[in-house]
Amino acid sequence: MNDWMFCDGQGGLSRRGFLAGAGVALGTLTGLSSALAQVQLRPDRREGNVVVILFLRGGADGLSFFVPYREDGYHRVRPSVGLAAPTNQSAAANLRTLDLDGFFGLNPALAGLLPLYREGQLAGIHAVGSNDGTHSHFEAMSAMERGLAEEGPGPSDGWLARHLNATASATDTPLRAVSLGTTMPDSLRGAKNAIAMERLDEFRIDVSDTKKAKVLAHLERMGQSGHDQASISARETVRTLRALDLARTGHVTPATGYPDSDLGRALRDVAALSRAKVGLEVACVDKGGWDSHVTQGAGEGWVPNLLKDLGDCLAAFYKDLGPESSRVTTVVMTEFGRRVQENSGLGTDHGHGSMMMAIGGGVRGNKIYGRWPGLEPAQLSGPGDLAVTTDYRTVLSEVVSKRLGNSKLNDVFPEAHGAPLGILA
Amino acid sequence: MTVSRRNLLAAGGAGLVAAGCAPVAARLTEPTKPLTAPRPTDSPNRRLADRLTFGPRPGDLAEMESLGQEVWIKRELAADRPDPLPLTLQLHRLDALWMDPHEMWDLPENMIVGQLQQAAILHAVHGPNGLQERLVDFWTNHFNIYGRKGLAAFRIGRIMQTAIRPNALGNFGTMLRSVAHAPAMLVYLDNQVNVQGVPNENYARELMELHTLGVHGGYTQRDVREVARCFTGWSMERRFLRKKGAFVFNEDRHDNGEKLVLGHRIPAGGGQRDADIVLDILAQHPATAQFVCGKLARAFVGEDAPKHVDRMAKSFIASGGDIRNVLGPLLLSDAIVDSPPVFKRPFDYLASAVRVLGGITDGSAAIQDHLAKMGQPLYQWPMPDGFPNEPEAWAGSTLGRWNFAFALTENRLTGTAIDWNGLEATNPKATASAISGQSASFDGTVPEAAALALCSPEFQWR
Repeated sequence: MNDWMFCDGQGGLSRRGFLAGAGVALGTLTGLSSALAQVQLRPDRREGNVVVILFLRGGADGLSFFVPYREDGYHRVRPSVGLAAPTNQSAAANLRTLDLDGFFGLNPALAGLLPLYREGQLAGIHAVGSNDGTHSHFEAMSAMERGLAEEGPGPSDGWLARHLNATASATDTPLRAVSLGTTMPDSLRGAKNAIAMERLDEFRIDVSDTKKAKVLAHLERMGQSGHDQASISARETVRTLRALDLARTGHVTPATGYPDSDLGRALRDVAALSRAKVGLEVACVDKGGWDSHVTQGAGEGWVPNLLKDLGDCLAAFYKDLGPESSRVTTVVMTEFGRRVQENSGLGTDHGHGSMMMAIGGGVRGNKIYGRWPGLEPAQLSGPGDLAVTTDYRTVLSEVVSKRLGNSKLNDVFPEAHGAPLGILA
Repeated sequence: MTVSRRNLLAAGGAGLVAAGCAPVAARLTEPTKPLTAPRPTDSPNRRLADRLTFGPRPGDLAEMESLGQEVWIKRELAADRPDPLPLTLQLHRLDALWMDPHEMWDLPENMIVGQLQQAAILHAVHGPNGLQERLVDFWTNHFNIYGRKGLAAFRIGRIMQTAIRPNALGNFGTMLRSVAHAPAMLVYLDNQVNVQGVPNENYARELMELHTLGVHGGYTQRDVREVARCFTGWSMERRFLRKKGAFVFNEDRHDNGEKLVLGHRIPAGGGQRDADIVLDILAQHPATAQFVCGKLARAFVGEDAPKHVDRMAKSFIASGGDIRNVLGPLLLSDAIVDSPPVFKRPFDYLASAVRVLGGITDGSAAIQDHLAKMGQPLYQWPMPDGFPNEPEAWAGSTLGRWNFAFALTENRLTGTAIDWNGLEATNPKATASAISGQSASFDGTVPEAAALALCSPEFQWR
């Protein structure tokens, strides 16, 4: 029996399930009754799909993910930070890309992802992005997290928040939307039911056990009536503490085998929450540090180190998920790509088009999607950037409709954008 | 400074000293006064203290009452009260503030970043000029530098001591120029590789987007490139046997051609002066006045800011960027008391919590760890925009705040102490009320009531 099956399907309480699963002392039953109501899971959500949005902050260099090694222009604009063709035996092994489709090669630092690509679980999308023309991290991120073509008028809440609010139900669990970090991303801004936590195993209130029930009850009371952000956060925090307290006695056990990094810990926790079937639907994870203006490196160095951590963490994540992988779809995105021509500091300045990845459940992988615009000067955009041929929202729309079962895409992305590419089954 | 016996850490003192936090024994403040009668958070004096400073310490509100608001505000604007000796002594131990960068070259980065945070906490909790401290925090974020990038950390102490702190209530242009000459900023935004031929745009872009004009300030991508050209050659000394870490202008890396910046022609052959001209243009630009005043207004009157920006911007232009001139009329008006609450970032929260309980801290590792868990490890925000202000961004800090409140009130933080006996607070309800203006029925002890009041939604706002 699922430890979380507190309701018998008709809304009644299974006392046996509650006591056996939660293992709490009878004396605290009354104090927990309101929490109990909150952790009852709607049957259709219990085993629902999970979408993980992994945002690479700082503007990740798409050309260093899926390398267009067959294009002469690439080797011309990236004489120092570029990589070689897979067959170029004169290049060192860590500079040779891993062939994907005869045109693009995977950065060898991302070798951990190659099996997922070959098995059809990973798709790349190239030359993807927004209309942002400011080259400002903050404008470009804000536009993407609000789900707009570019920063400007429009809804102020996040695209994930709009999805979550439009499909909210009274029986949503407090763990429906989780941000693994201390700050809440703008894509969840305005979500009625979202929580940020840096680490699952540290999400505990640090008071003695004898005081805990009383303290939680008081904290709940103080936050129960306010409409301000502090009161809302207080309510979510109490709800989540109680839900996790119960869940910990079940299956929320973080696994091992991840790289020892912030991203590794975050994905480990997402996997644990997914496995625990606590009603998780959306998880947001950030990986920063991609603003590689200087010495970004090729083969080794700054960007290769970031790529290696990213690839190894994602590989560990899907290995850990095992059979649950089919429920969990990860989207990797960034606010913009980088200037095509490398600069004098062996880095790259802010650009335009970049790449995205879709991994896991429902993905029709082993393919790089999108129209490749080319790297010849006349094919570039703005001050010398990769053009955007795919609106990032066409990818996210597929995720919302195919994986989150929300067909009202206009609620989530109010502006028109391109037709789906068929990345998800 | 006299220290009365009752103010020695009667309750937690022995344990704390045994735990190896001798610095705490040197009291940093005047003897604590009892928490006074309930003061709802809508009391005008409390609001002034919350907005202008990192919140009141016991006795501060009574002092404001006897001085009168106007005198108190003017005293904050003057910001000329000397640091108490114990604070001075604590700060003098922090090499990161005083050593020349080339002497620090071999020190561990963690130690430097730790000392910088320690200084910030010491100043915020114990500094006598509260408004000055709030503005130092404001400008530190306005000119944010990530202390974990390159060798930036080694120069942050100098930028704080020579650029930010002395000009926090002074002249914006002076501060801007001082920051632009600071190797910490130049290195953080990659200007050491901005050289003739292939300019690196990072510093040029953020200088206009975040430090001066604002993203809608009317500059173009072409301006970004031209400003980058003006700054070619501005760098940090790294050569052997030179004074490593000092500002240096590399003439041979400078693009000496003509430039056109925001419609101003900068003639060829200007050398280092090119970028000085750019800084003058930016410091006096009307878009800078609007952008900087908008941010300043939000720090003090939150969502009411748009009502005041135009008038502040006028005063910014008229006074040549004199921050005291810009802020004075706003702070002396009813705007503060009339405006809606402003959300406390974790650093605000932490400092105001220690202050409201009359606590003392040496700002060392234990309290820094809590700040990191709340999401605001100082000098460690990677992006150049500084820590966010929006309450939504801090939704994840709630549990960290609560855990800090319990650790603080249970005196579990090495290097930080609340003297419960000295506070002479005996009534849990009155204690809670003095902190948060709320006194929900609670049958616990005074420290428990204080912890819950610090956790309350009310105390997350100022």
